[in-house]
Amino acid sequence: MRSPLAYTPRPGPLQAASPGAAVAYLGALVTVAFLYSSPLVLCGAGVAAVLAGRLASATRAVRAAVKLGLLIALPIVVVNALVVDRGATVVARLGEWPLLGPVEVTAEALADGAVFGLRALVAMVAFAVYSACVDPDRVLRALRPLAARSALTAALVSRLVPVAAADAARLRDAARLRGPGAAPVGKAPLARRLLAGSLDRAVDVAATLELRGYSLDHPRIRRATGGFSRPGRGELATRRSRFDRRFYATGATVLLIAIAGELLGADAFRAFPTIEVGLAPATLAVAALIALAGLAPLRRKPRCRSTPVATAPGARPLGAPGA
Amino acid sequence: MIRRRGTAIAGALLALLAVAGCGLGPGDDVGSVELTVTRDFGAEPMLQRSVGDVAESDTVMRVLERNAEIETRYGGGFVHSIEGIEAEDRGGPRDWFFYVDGVESPVGAADYPLEGGERIWWDRHDWGATNHIPAVVGSWPAPFTDGYGGRSYPVAVECRGGGDACATVRERLGAAGVEPASGSPPRAIRVLVGPWARLRSDPAAAQIESGVEESGVFAEFEREGSGYRLMGLDPEGDAVRDFGPGAGLVAATRRYEAPPVWVVTGAAAAGVRAAANLLDATGLRDRFAVAVEAGEAIPLPLERGG
Repeated sequence: MRSPLAYTPRPGPLQAASPGAAVAYLGALVTVAFLYSSPLVLCGAGVAAVLAGRLASATRAVRAAVKLGLLIALPIVVVNALVVDRGATVVARLGEWPLLGPVEVTAEALADGAVFGLRALVAMVAFAVYSACVDPDRVLRALRPLAARSALTAALVSRLVPVAAADAARLRDAARLRGPGAAPVGKAPLARRLLAGSLDRAVDVAATLELRGYSLDHPRIRRATGGFSRPGRGELATRRSRFDRRFYATGATVLLIAIAGELLGADAFRAFPTIEVGLAPATLAVAALIALAGLAPLRRKPRCRSTPVATAPGARPLGAPGA
Repeated sequence: MIRRRGTAIAGALLALLAVAGCGLGPGDDVGSVELTVTRDFGAEPMLQRSVGDVAESDTVMRVLERNAEIETRYGGGFVHSIEGIEAEDRGGPRDWFFYVDGVESPVGAADYPLEGGERIWWDRHDWGATNHIPAVVGSWPAPFTDGYGGRSYPVAVECRGGGDACATVRERLGAAGVEPASGSPPRAIRVLVGPWARLRSDPAAAQIESGVEESGVFAEFEREGSGYRLMGLDPEGDAVRDFGPGAGLVAATRRYEAPPVWVVTGAAAAGVRAAANLLDATGLRDRFAVAVEAGEAIPLPLERGG
């Protein structure tokens, strides 16, 4: 079974966009989450990330990220409530605890922790959308001119880890198929077998790389013509997507809105000494606009053409001589 | 069967939590506290209010947060500013310090629980001379009335050649509702009354001669012939004023963890009498220590340059 966060090729603007554009777009949402403390704006960024994931057909990834994010957010809220003794509204007195002393849970500490948790949740969803929609091979290709050896290592890791996971699944299946009477197989023997298999494969991969000339000084890229050289400007240009501009523009707009909102005091949230959530027009506007940024991966319906592509037999197309 | 056992365990846990002082909400109402905020050793009052509805979960920090606009640092445990007046480093380090019932707290404001009736005093002052002022007189009649730190202490008036001034001190304490113990019981809050030449043999009072770093009292007694002269110090700890021969001093200090010791003293008997007459809320309110010269109460420390 594939991980819900694993990249799955699907048709869609976010998948088609270049990695840089997708990172700019999703990174802008994460930046907002770390820049703001206002729960409204954080919810706006969260809505945008979820919307982007759904529109990019990464619903499973979003769902998994929300579950995982909540699992992380909950301990953040609990720990914050236990260790932060500030806040005017005591909701529970938990007596004396070793190391912590008197523990009093305040509504303000809970709200403060919830904001931290919400921030983690938004970042998690945005990362899940990135992971499910951005082709890691394209990311590596984009990085290759900057750090060839690191890109090669990352490429190998990204290929070999799923293969090792598949090996593990096969080994477990094999162990189960021995029947209910067979002695259970411990994790250590499984891990040993897995490690041995991985090392064998690593030796094979190393030999293949050697044969392909990867041990030479400058790693080379095979061109479509069959020779070895760096890709030309034209080749890079063809990898750009017509959706890039949309995602770069949305990311930049989100950042501009976030910065303008900060300057206008839209980040109006204070947990201590009492909870104050700003509901000023600027805050509402920033939250709404950032939530709308989630529509960027929306696939537009193809425009109706003014000239019909196919016409009835015998009929002449409009605009043709004599029509 | 298993469900019954689970219910029993849950009930026992809840009972245990209740016995351990746990519960929902802020807890019972414990009464009211006095909150005072000043600057520069009490010279500039900023806030003076009686705060009601103090709950058993309240701390010094919570009461301050509810009644003043504050900013904190270091995870909320350190007060950086109150009503926009910030701690600062320019021109001598200035920070916010707090005293409860006239005694410097050994714990942070967020860890100081309240039991009702306390007098909380926040003051932002220059701590270039000392950052340890163990006791102050500005919360009179605390700590004599209800003790400090959640405990009551007996009050002992030790008359060491104070003459009439001792009776005045007893009378002022009585007027504040304090019945001094006879003799000097152990762990008592002591009031030493007498000329400095007699008081200086007491180990706690002798800290005043060791300097402000030791005693937290911005005053010194300098030997002059067979007697002493009272010198007033500025916030830097420099002697800037030589009080006259009839000057008196009311100050509080503390040695280690022992209860505070107040000194009602002077270079001569006239000074001791004048100091004893200062013992009331009017004469001592929001003062760290007070000198008296020619009937005029002079708060200590003195301003720079005297």
